[in-house]
Amino acid sequence: MDALGTARVALVVAFTLLGLFFSFVSMTGVLRLPDVYSRAHTASQADTLGAGFGLAAVALTIGWEAAGVKSVLLLFFIFVTNPTAAHGIARAAFEEGIVPWTEGDERR
Amino acid sequence: MWWVADTDGDTDAGSEAAGGGVGDGDAGSGSDPEYGSPSAPTGGLVVPVEPTQTLRATISHAVEAAVEDGFSAIHLVEIASWRDGDPGAEDRAASAERVLERAEAWANSDLDDLDGERPPVTVATELIGGDEYLFGPDDYVRVLAAYAEEHGADAVLLDPEYSPVGNTTLLQPLEFALSNTSLTVETAPVTRPTRRERLRSEATGKRSLAMFGFSLAFYLLLGDPFYWFDWVTGVATAAIVSITLSSVSIDVEPAIPRTPMRVLRGVIYVPVLLFEIVKANVEVARVILDPRLPIEPTMNRMRVIVGSGLPLMTLANSITLTPGTLTVRARDSDLYVHSLIPSARDGLFDGSLERWTRFVYYGRASARLPTPRERDDCAILQGPDATEELPIVAADGGASPVDEDDEAETEEVTGE
Repeated sequence: MDALGTARVALVVAFTLLGLFFSFVSMTGVLRLPDVYSRAHTASQADTLGAGFGLAAVALTIGWEAAGVKSVLLLFFIFVTNPTAAHGIARAAFEEGIVPWTEGDERR
Repeated sequence: MWWVADTDGDTDAGSEAAGGGVGDGDAGSGSDPEYGSPSAPTGGLVVPVEPTQTLRATISHAVEAAVEDGFSAIHLVEIASWRDGDPGAEDRAASAERVLERAEAWANSDLDDLDGERPPVTVATELIGGDEYLFGPDDYVRVLAAYAEEHGADAVLLDPEYSPVGNTTLLQPLEFALSNTSLTVETAPVTRPTRRERLRSEATGKRSLAMFGFSLAFYLLLGDPFYWFDWVTGVATAAIVSITLSSVSIDVEPAIPRTPMRVLRGVIYVPVLLFEIVKANVEVARVILDPRLPIEPTMNRMRVIVGSGLPLMTLANSITLTPGTLTVRARDSDLYVHSLIPSARDGLFDGSLERWTRFVYYGRASARLPTPRERDDCAILQGPDATEELPIVAADGGASPVDEDDEAETEEVTGE
C-alpha cells in the first residue's frame, strides 16, 4: 500500500515536471521562432503536452473520483478546441496575405 | 412566365400563383399572353434531382413548363456530393442512377399522358460532379452552369426540397448563387405533401434519440448517476437539448452497425494520436531548444482522400494537434499545411494520420489506399524544394477561384 502510494507520488511529480518542461519549451518557442505560423506550432505544445501532463498529474492525485474523471474530460475538450483555435489564427494570417517565413527572411 | 426575361420582382407568392395557373389551365392555354412570345426560350430546362418528397411533383411541373413554353429538352441531373473513388462511392452512384431512372420514367409517362400527341420534348439524365468534391452552393452552381452551357440549357427548375448536402439548407444559397449566372431560375411551385411532416419527424427521430442519449450520458458523467434527482434533471435537460439541437449537431443519420463502429474505431485512434503527438512534441522541443534553431518552415499542399465534413475536420485537427504541422486552410479537399521541420513534413506526406482518419470513418479496407506521396497528391509550396506557387491571396480573403490551383497542377504535370 505504501509502495503504491510512493509510486503514485513519484508519477505525479514526474508528470508535473514533464508538463512544466513542455510549457517551458512552448514559451521558448514563441519567443525564438520567426513568424506567426511557426509560433502557432509551438503555442499548441503548451496545450497538448503541457496541459496534458498537468491534467494527468491532477487526475492521478485525485484518483478515480468525479473530479478525476472531469479532469480527463477537460483534457478532451482542450484537445478539441486547441487545434480549432490554432487553425483559426493561421487561417486568418493566411487570408491577410502573410507569407510564411522561409530561410533568409527577416524575423517578424 | 418566370423564365421570360425582365419580369418585375417575382415574389414567391406571385410565382406560386403563376405555377398554379400552369397546373390548372391545361386546356386553352393559347390565351396565355406570353405563350409563344419572342422571348420564350427554346433551349433546355435543367432540373437538379434528389430523392425528395416533392420530386414527383417537381417533375410534373417541369413537364408542364416544358410543354407550355417550348423547352426542347428536360435535363434531369443529379449532382454527386461524393467523389469517384471514395469509399462507398459506387453504391451512392448506383442509388443515384436509380433515382434518375425513376425520375426519367416519371417525366416520360407525364409526357405520354398529355392530351393529344406527345410533344417534341426529350428527357435526358446525367450524374455530374463526381470527379471532384463539392463543398458549397458555389461549387454546385459552377457544375450546374457548366452542364447547362454544354447542353444549351437556359433555365433551371429547383425542387423546393432540394438539398444535396445532408440536412443543410442549401436551397436559398443555391438560388442566390444561381442568380449570378445567366440562367433563369425558379423553384417549382409544388404543394408539399402532408405526409412530409411525419416522414421528416421520423427521419429526425434517430438523430434526436442519439442526441438525447449522448446529452444524458454526459450530464450523468458530470453529475452522480446513482442519485435519482440527477436522472430527473438529466432527462429534462437532454430532452431540451435533443429537441433544439439534434438537427443542428448531427448531420449524418446514425446507423446501427456504422455509428458504433466509428466510435469504437475512434477509441482505437486516440492512443495512436496521443503517441504521434508525444513523438512530434519531442522532435519539435529538440529543435526549439537547439541553440542553432534548425527550422525549415514551408507551406505545403496536400490533397486528401477523406470525406467532407466530419472526417475532414478530424484529419485537419489531428494534423494541427501534432506539433510541427499546422493546417492553415482547407480548400475543398486540398489542405494547406504549414510544416516547421522537414521530418514533420515527411510524416505528413506519408499520410499516417490520413490513413487513420479513413480507418476511423470507413474501416480497414479504405485505410489501405496509397499514401499522398505515392498518389502524387502533395506539393511543397516554398523553399528550395518547392514544386508549386504559393497561392497567397492578399486582400481578397481567399476568394480566388479554385481553378487556378488545378491549372497550376496540370502545368506542373505536363512540364515534367
